[in-house]
Amino acid sequence: MKGDRIGSGVEAGLYVPEIATIVGARDLTWQDRVFVVELAGGRSLGHRPGQFVQLSVFGFGEAPISVCSPPEKAGSFDLCVRKLGGLTKALHGLGPGDEVGIRGPFGNGFPMKAMRGMDCLIVAGGIGLAPLRSVIDSIFLNRSEYGRLILLYGTRSPRDILFPEELEAWSADPRNEVLVTVDEASEGWGGHAGVVTTLFPRVTIDPVRTVVVALVGPPVMYRFVMAELEAMGVPEDHMFFSLERRMRCGVGKCGHCQVDGRCVCVDGPVFSAREIKTMKESV
Amino acid sequence: MTARMLPGNKIDEFAVRLMRSAEVVAPRRVGEEDVFYGAIASPDEIAWDYGTAVEPLKRFLLPQREPILRFSTNGRIRVGAEYDEQQRVFLGVRCCDVTGVAVLDAMYGGDTVDPYYMSRRERSTFIALTCQQPEPHCFCVCGDAGPFLEGGYDQQWTALPEGMLVEIGSAAGEALVRDNEDLFAEAEVDQVAARYRLAREAEQKFGEFKSYIAGAMRKLSMNEVAPAVWEQAADRCMECGGCTYLCPTCSCFTVTDRMAGQDGVRERHWDACLYSCYAREASGHNPRPEREDRLRARFFHKISHQWAVRNGRQACVGCGRCVLGCMGWAHTPAVSEGIRRGVMT
Repeated sequence: MKGDRIGSGVEAGLYVPEIATIVGARDLTWQDRVFVVELAGGRSLGHRPGQFVQLSVFGFGEAPISVCSPPEKAGSFDLCVRKLGGLTKALHGLGPGDEVGIRGPFGNGFPMKAMRGMDCLIVAGGIGLAPLRSVIDSIFLNRSEYGRLILLYGTRSPRDILFPEELEAWSADPRNEVLVTVDEASEGWGGHAGVVTTLFPRVTIDPVRTVVVALVGPPVMYRFVMAELEAMGVPEDHMFFSLERRMRCGVGKCGHCQVDGRCVCVDGPVFSAREIKTMKESV
Repeated sequence: MTARMLPGNKIDEFAVRLMRSAEVVAPRRVGEEDVFYGAIASPDEIAWDYGTAVEPLKRFLLPQREPILRFSTNGRIRVGAEYDEQQRVFLGVRCCDVTGVAVLDAMYGGDTVDPYYMSRRERSTFIALTCQQPEPHCFCVCGDAGPFLEGGYDQQWTALPEGMLVEIGSAAGEALVRDNEDLFAEAEVDQVAARYRLAREAEQKFGEFKSYIAGAMRKLSMNEVAPAVWEQAADRCMECGGCTYLCPTCSCFTVTDRMAGQDGVRERHWDACLYSCYAREASGHNPRPEREDRLRARFFHKISHQWAVRNGRQACVGCGRCVLGCMGWAHTPAVSEGIRRGVMT
């Protein structure tokens, strides 16, 4: 028996969240909001980029939400949440001073070690930019440890663009390249239009010196991204994809996120292209 | 093998003594034919001559609905959890069902222990009853889970004319003998021999529901199943989830918050991977939109090599409850044979 001794009324356990306080919240777009969350006493969450927490909004349930701030940020962490279902609608109604529950961090996270000393190509689709922001910020805070940083970001329309000021800041660094595209250009949009894969011809990479991390949706997009990268000569064990799945527990018990022989919550959510190819149901 | 004899006239006394310190769960007849496992108030309730209980042991370790958290949103949020600490002895339960618990142990134990499950599991003792007359739907020989076990129990009883031959499989099983030494006799060589003869005879009595799991496992694991098999199985499956509820090893759950005023309870309850909304995400995307996708996922978890490695064994024990419960003939023997042959028959 690992962990806490089990007895009546023991207030600790696998499914018991820690009460945390929202200390900041701001709207990013018409449907996305960033929450700054603080654990008791400003304790560090201790996460790695790409890990997620199980977020409780009491009375509405629990949902897996990726952490979108880097581990280096002390005292609090950020969660970017899109308003989609009952829990996230309720969460969007909360603000500073309100309490939520946090379990985790869970999952494996992105391969930051493998990225050190390498060029980093980051491919983000839609809200997939949120977990990748923790990667980008972590690279920023340890800039000399990494090579080039190339971000390819595709989203539905200009009004859905997340973290616009940060995109500006990232692109200001000459070692970085930030390319943004929208599926549907609206009036006044002077940038690129088309799905995220249409950005690939616009960048030149050294495929053997590059590690790719990607989070794009819907899942069929992974196949197109993988095909583009293979055409560019990137080896399949240099490509890492974070999978999205429904989860109820985050700890490999509830069954919902199983993909063939794996649980996305504990074995992932980040898998190499080599692994993904052996998982029939994955993308 | 360490074995003792519990004479026929001492069985009830042994059960009564077990009941003094634990809840004793045993097969009980409900109505004319059906046998359910349930807590007994007297040894007279035990149905020793039965085939398969309607339900497996799952609900005693993983209740169909279970509170996993209580919270109050009155003022500062407070949370707490309680764990079931009831001692239980499972007496006279089938070998296939005891083996099913081993699969639950792998799912709910392992690197991350589920405290609700493990609190019950650590307080449970399993006394298996060997099966001398398999029923027509049974195929535990294909599931390596019966009709007699070689291990995995605390005690295993075999009914002989003069009483129960008691095989001891664990320290807990041994302690039950030691604490009740006055009831037990030495086992004679011919009584042990009778147990092996009965096991061989029982193995000859299986019916038509053979499940060719080795062949199905190979094709599933290598991704070589003919797509038509899933389409045909999907035509038959009613998506009722009955097989998952009756299966000793299906253990998926979902979680719901329920509020009464400012007090809430977070409950988990059984879910079924066959339901269309099971894997559907908040965005509306469903990784398994078609019923054949869901059937493939279920059988992959039951009998693929990948999950067998993870769980320490295949998840199908061959109890045959899916044969009894399936309205559409998409049960494990039918589907595993379909996988092997490339067509559902």
